[in-house]
Amino acid sequence: MSDLRPITALGAALPRLASFGALEIRENGGLALASMALRRGTVEPTPFGLALPGPGRWIAGQGVAALWTGLDQWMIEAEGRAELDFAAELKQLAPGCSVTEQTDGWVAFEIVSRAGTGPIDALLSKLVNVDLADFGPGCATRTGLEHMSCFVIRRSEAHIAVLGARSSAGSLWHALETAAKRLEER
Amino acid sequence: MKFSGFRVFAEALKGHTGWRPLWRNPDPKPSYDYLIVGGGGHGLATAYYLAKTFGRSRIAVLEKGWLGSGNVGRNTTIIRSNYLLAGNEPFYEFSMKLWEGLEQELNFNAMVSQRGIINLFHTDAQRDAFRRRGNAMMLAGAGARLLGREELRAMVPFLNYDNARFPIKGGLMQARAGTARHDGVAWGYARGADSHGVDLIQNCEVTGFRLDRGKVRGVETSRGYIAADKVGVAVAGSSSRVMAMAGMRLPIESHVLQAFVTEGLKPTIPGVITFGAGHFYISQSDKGGLVFGGDIDGYNSYAQRGNLPVVEDVVEGGMALMPMIGRARLLRMWGGVVDMSMDGSPIIDRTQIEGLYLNGGWCYGGFKATPASGYAFAHLLATGASHETARAYRIERFARGHVVDERGAGAQPNLH
Amino acid sequence: MLITHPLLGLRDAQEFTYLGDARLIDRPAPSAPDAEAAFCDYVFLRDNPAGVHRELWYHEHGDRSWLVVTRDTVTHEVLGAELARNVALARTRCSK
Ligand SMILES: Cc1cc2nc3c(=O)[nH]c(=O)nc-3n(C[C@H](O)[C@H](O)[C@H](O)COP(=O)(O)OP(=O)(O)OC[C@H]3O[C@@H](n4cnc5c(N)ncnc54)[C@H](O)[C@@H]3O)c2cc1C
Repeated sequence: MSDLRPITALGAALPRLASFGALEIRENGGLALASMALRRGTVEPTPFGLALPGPGRWIAGQGVAALWTGLDQWMIEAEGRAELDFAAELKQLAPGCSVTEQTDGWVAFEIVSRAGTGPIDALLSKLVNVDLADFGPGCATRTGLEHMSCFVIRRSEAHIAVLGARSSAGSLWHALETAAKRLEER
Repeated sequence: MKFSGFRVFAEALKGHTGWRPLWRNPDPKPSYDYLIVGGGGHGLATAYYLAKTFGRSRIAVLEKGWLGSGNVGRNTTIIRSNYLLAGNEPFYEFSMKLWEGLEQELNFNAMVSQRGIINLFHTDAQRDAFRRRGNAMMLAGAGARLLGREELRAMVPFLNYDNARFPIKGGLMQARAGTARHDGVAWGYARGADSHGVDLIQNCEVTGFRLDRGKVRGVETSRGYIAADKVGVAVAGSSSRVMAMAGMRLPIESHVLQAFVTEGLKPTIPGVITFGAGHFYISQSDKGGLVFGGDIDGYNSYAQRGNLPVVEDVVEGGMALMPMIGRARLLRMWGGVVDMSMDGSPIIDRTQIEGLYLNGGWCYGGFKATPASGYAFAHLLATGASHETARAYRIERFARGHVVDERGAGAQPNLH
Repeated sequence: MLITHPLLGLRDAQEFTYLGDARLIDRPAPSAPDAEAAFCDYVFLRDNPAGVHRELWYHEHGDRSWLVVTRDTVTHEVLGAELARNVALARTRCSK
């Protein structure tokens, strides 16, 4: 049998981790993702006890979270379950909904500040055209980041996540790293 | 007044007191045989050929601003005949031949400079497509050369040949292509038309058509009613607005296209270079400014100014192609309203209203067409028949499905 | 330009792609006797006004919704935006 070894989105055996001043950027290799869409006439489910968020919002539960991605559509995240068939599990909890496995389509970067919200806001201002006055914890949006379509999630004041297409993981890392470095040099 | 080296010398001795305005500035007469609406390159060239080549008289050009205030003075001055389709290539090659004799014809320095154009390619498939286009050009007598990477590098060493996304594999060159002084072209045709008796009437906006039983009788203008037997409309980005006054809807959307010029630099860029994959093209003016542009902004606009996202897109394209451009300082940028047609090709045709003719849909590339467009439109107005090189530009092609879609993008103007 | 997304508030026009005149929602009936001429007009002809224009924008770097945006083509001012699906649904309800 061939010896297949999984690699991360950035192509290494282990997820990448780097610090730039107060900012730490971590490739989150364990994050499982599945999208969920209501079909006409189905009732909105509450998978894993999550009350599904409205437009522009993100909500977290125990090891799982959900973000609004479009009308009647959400992305469901599950920490540390990338190796499991998370979509199948979600499907059980969302009867009548369309559920699609998404884990391998994406790369997730967790960005945490050790110096409060300032460095996170500075990084966001450099990278995305999002109104920071209206982007506190619990907000999530898809937007363009250096021409790449990404989800940006504000998990807390000092913690954001950026989800981008796995095929451009390297470019996305480069964008985040370059911006973080520039802030560090400032 | 004829221009010549001797004349310049003689005037120098007389303290330049003998120069006269290049054209009269007449008031409109009550009626004409031919009215041309729009005093841009195409309208002025039409009037010139109508008077000079087709021997017609009682002609006026009505321009709402000043002559050359539209796109003819806003474009990036590229002239070329490097098209693929049979409906296009003979027309643009006819235009190129007229460019080659234009300055003698007009006795005016339009600074026509055949410095060549190179379209870059980045993949094997693109090379094949360009080879095919080059063959079509050669069949039409336009000439073409497929350049390999090393040959190209010897000509333009400053390009980024190893860009990760778009490594440069070579280019298709048309050596006869180049640039011309855009407003010089308008002035040359204006002077020529005037000297053949055409009235060039400025500050005269056409505000309506007087129609009678399916026939045009004349036009309402900001300077009063003017009667005419035949009215030819050549208003570039305003085609839809003007033809709407005659009750017509056109296969056209108006979009804004931007252009940029840097401070003057030493000669660096030998000809015109286009980087289609990166939405960027560039040449260098005789004053030294780098003249460049990219895609249209992409939504309906009559604003004559663009927005910043396309500025970013264009300069990113420039940086990807030739990183040294990052050191050049931008001097000016501007926009022009272009009439994007549904197949990316122009319309030179009669309309269902007798005596009313349309010349429009030139998209972002009508400057190079100026001589042929004027000639073909004059031919149509004078003889009633399409010029042999412009037969594909009839408006009924859309209903018949015979579109001339060089890009193959379909009825989506912002993709052409 | 900022587009007033009905669900997400002000969004940069760069997040969107442009299709054109909102009349593209009104697809002619393929079985009507004049369908051929109607489709030719539908595919190729546009009003193209200088001034207020209703047009279709797609929120590609966003929630992937189609919007009908009302915008002034002379000033680029965005005057309003609605979900295209609501516009289309309201039309079918009216025509029934
Ligand atoms: C930024 C930019 C770059 C370009 N680059 C190139 C290039 O490199 N190569 C190329 O081949 N082409 C290029 N083009 C396209 C080219 O400039 C146009 O296709 C061409 O100039 C259009 O024909 P014209 O000269 O007659 O238009 P215009 O000069 O616009 O003439 C139309 C005239 O009609 C007048 N008019 C409008 N409405 C009325 C009315 N109601 N009554 C009276 N008069 C009216 C206008 O005032 C205007 O003067 C470019 C265009 C732009 C905007």
